[in-house]
Amino acid sequence: MGKGKPFLEILASALHGDYKFPIPEFLAFLFLLSSFVFASFGGFASQGIPEEYFVFFMTNSLMGLPLFILVMLLLKNIASGIGNDLEKGTIQTILAYPLKRRSILTAKLLSAFGVAILLFLGAQISALFILAPDMVVPNLSVVLLTYAANMSSALFIASITLLMTLLLRKGSLAVLIGIMFFFLFGILTSLVSFIARAMDSLLPMQLYSVYSPSFAIRFYYSSLQGMVHVFWAPSFSEALMYIGAGYSITAFIFILSYFYFCRRLNV
Amino acid sequence: MSLVVAAENLSKHYGKIVAVEGLSLKVKEGSIMGLIGPNGAGKTTTIKMILGLMKPDEGHVEVFGHNPWDNPDIHLQIGVVYEKPFFPTNEKVLDYLERVCRVFGVNETRASEVLKLVNLQEAYDRTLKALSAGMLQKFAIAHAIIHEPKFVIADEITSNLDPKARGSLLDLILQLHEDQKVSFLLSSHILPELSRVCDSVVIINKGKVHATGNLAELYEKFAAKTIRVSTDKPDELAKAAKSLHYVEEVDTDSQGILVKISKEGNDTIYEDISRLAREIKAKILGIETESASLEELYRLVTDSGGQ
Repeated sequence: MGKGKPFLEILASALHGDYKFPIPEFLAFLFLLSSFVFASFGGFASQGIPEEYFVFFMTNSLMGLPLFILVMLLLKNIASGIGNDLEKGTIQTILAYPLKRRSILTAKLLSAFGVAILLFLGAQISALFILAPDMVVPNLSVVLLTYAANMSSALFIASITLLMTLLLRKGSLAVLIGIMFFFLFGILTSLVSFIARAMDSLLPMQLYSVYSPSFAIRFYYSSLQGMVHVFWAPSFSEALMYIGAGYSITAFIFILSYFYFCRRLNV
Repeated sequence: MSLVVAAENLSKHYGKIVAVEGLSLKVKEGSIMGLIGPNGAGKTTTIKMILGLMKPDEGHVEVFGHNPWDNPDIHLQIGVVYEKPFFPTNEKVLDYLERVCRVFGVNETRASEVLKLVNLQEAYDRTLKALSAGMLQKFAIAHAIIHEPKFVIADEITSNLDPKARGSLLDLILQLHEDQKVSFLLSSHILPELSRVCDSVVIINKGKVHATGNLAELYEKFAAKTIRVSTDKPDELAKAAKSLHYVEEVDTDSQGILVKISKEGNDTIYEDISRLAREIKAKILGIETESASLEELYRLVTDSGGQ
């Protein structure tokens, strides 16, 4: 008897569970709608503001609500895909297939993250090219940097939720923790500048930028425009460093999740 | 004969609770072994360690010569039926089994074959959540044998089945064993069923093995025997038999006497009964042995603490 294609079959099964009709269709619509509706140009172009800042601002405004939808979708997929398998015991059936544990988790994560991120990026790219094609192409690096910075925090929340799901074996509880993290950090966004000013120290902002590199990027581009006084003016390399640090921590949490799933998880 | 499972000194603790302690067992190729024990004895934990779903805290286990935790390819040769079947409930019966065929690299027509084999052909189009507990159990069995494994592990395999379905399942086990030389490890606390199909058993309680071996050896070793002696003087022979120190109980009926003996009397009972009959001048018309049931054997082994 030959070995089949268990990885692809587990992936197909996970996709079947995560994206039952009409979830992907509805999400694509939601991503597109929210991308267009909430796109804001703020009249910067007419005020002689640097194009880079304008592109950054526009890209940021495009992904506000879609990013929230993406995070919720990732959390839902982790809870319903991996969490439910652990909670209901389906993982025992899957682990009795001729497939390494890391391949099982990879298939589950590809399903949970892959389609959701592709839908999100697809809608975003379409919106960018429809709304401001002249701006996007010459400033592609700004667009990519803005996406990289914003996606970092989304993936961080997802990675924490994944690890919690594996440790607690309760997807719903892990998602609740993930949502709490998301809103907690959301509240911090508005508080961290105030705290930094009160402490007269950049440390709170620097620490927060590790979680949310878009925070540092915003200050970087704000400092470029030179119109208003900015409390913090990180350099480009410093901003990049926060993105690197954010992704490194997320990658570390994913590796930890893999290690736990592959070497420690008794089901 | 080579070993399908070789588990040595397995231990597993859940916090302070000892699930399995120093458990060793061997399943030989071509055998049907029963794993007997009450609820909470450690049967499911043992099975999970054999399947590589759990890492033992101590000891090691090999299935087909490999550590199951690190070698998922051994599952190509293993079929599993869990006590509670775990399947994605939204999938349809046939679709899911065809997917399983692709996972194991077998022809998809095998899905229909196994559904017929377990008498579940009427449920092809139903979703798994629409199946009754008994049907789901049959589906689990079809799922376990779909890739024609050499070894099947089943945890409380008959728990959700009606008596007729239980009988059919035991027939299927015997058929697979005889035709395809499939080895089985069957866990159950419904002992008469195990005694019908198993050639050997492991009796466990509180995570420890109390006895292991083939059924005949264990009966010989642990079980009290009941000897039926047909005689023309049942009352006198019953009275005389009571003088033997290993006789536990003597009953009389119209055909003779029933003498229940402990294991010390295994070797000498026939000689002693003949001697007593000669002394009281009774005529012995026949002697036959009635073995204890598996339940009785289980009770005796656990009561004695095993050896």
